[in-house]
Amino acid sequence: MAGLSISALLIRFTLGGLAVVVSTLVARKLGEKAGGIFAAFPAVYLAALLTASLDFGGTELISYSILLSKGAIVGMAINIVIAIIAGYLLPRKGWKSGLVQAVGCWFIISIIVVVFTSY
Amino acid sequence: MKSKDLLIRFLLGGAAVMLSYLVTVISPWKILAGMFAAFPAVMITAVLMMGIASGSKNAAKVANGSVYGMIGGVVCVATVWTTLTISNNWLFSIFLGLVLWLVSSIAVSTLRERMMGFNIKHAKHAMGSMREPQVRQNK
Repeated sequence: MAGLSISALLIRFTLGGLAVVVSTLVARKLGEKAGGIFAAFPAVYLAALLTASLDFGGTELISYSILLSKGAIVGMAINIVIAIIAGYLLPRKGWKSGLVQAVGCWFIISIIVVVFTSY
Repeated sequence: MKSKDLLIRFLLGGAAVMLSYLVTVISPWKILAGMFAAFPAVMITAVLMMGIASGSKNAAKVANGSVYGMIGGVVCVATVWTTLTISNNWLFSIFLGLVLWLVSSIAVSTLRERMMGFNIKHAKHAMGSMREPQVRQNK
């Protein structure tokens, strides 16, 4: 179990909150689809990189950032699939059921991918 | 009230990302930690808020838009990875990655909308061509 860092929590809180606010503002001005682009802003990935910069420097930071990126690409690919599934389910099942089912799909797909990449 | 609404969204979005980070740090199971590192917290929060405010149709549009943003996310990460490897410049790599996230998301979105527009136009034209002999015969 790694240590809990207050600055890491704050960075994630701020970036996550800002991403949702910007997505909302863009949706109001340019439409929901445009807002959706900003809903997919890589906030978690950026937060992880910024947090890394607090702990590492120089070549260590570069190596760690590359390692983060390798994991993040797999996560992003899964998220593309989940967003497509959500876009399909929400108009058919309603936003409540659709969202719950999309999160369920995320869980199952993630478990499969993590198990496959671990062994 | 607009500001209050935005504040609630900020707090919820922030909390969602923060909670998924907490799971990765606190979880005794490595598998759960790995999964939650990529949990689409912002997308889910944005879709949820849109569903509450405007209903399922608009929430689905946000989800559709986020597909383009997620594709941009892959471009962003690939760019950061490549630029870090080539340049060893951390700040520049991230900056370039974020710029390409926005550019590629918009590009994919525009291309897709144009293709959909082209397909509809093509289908309408095909339907019109099919009906023309019928119309001529009826005359």
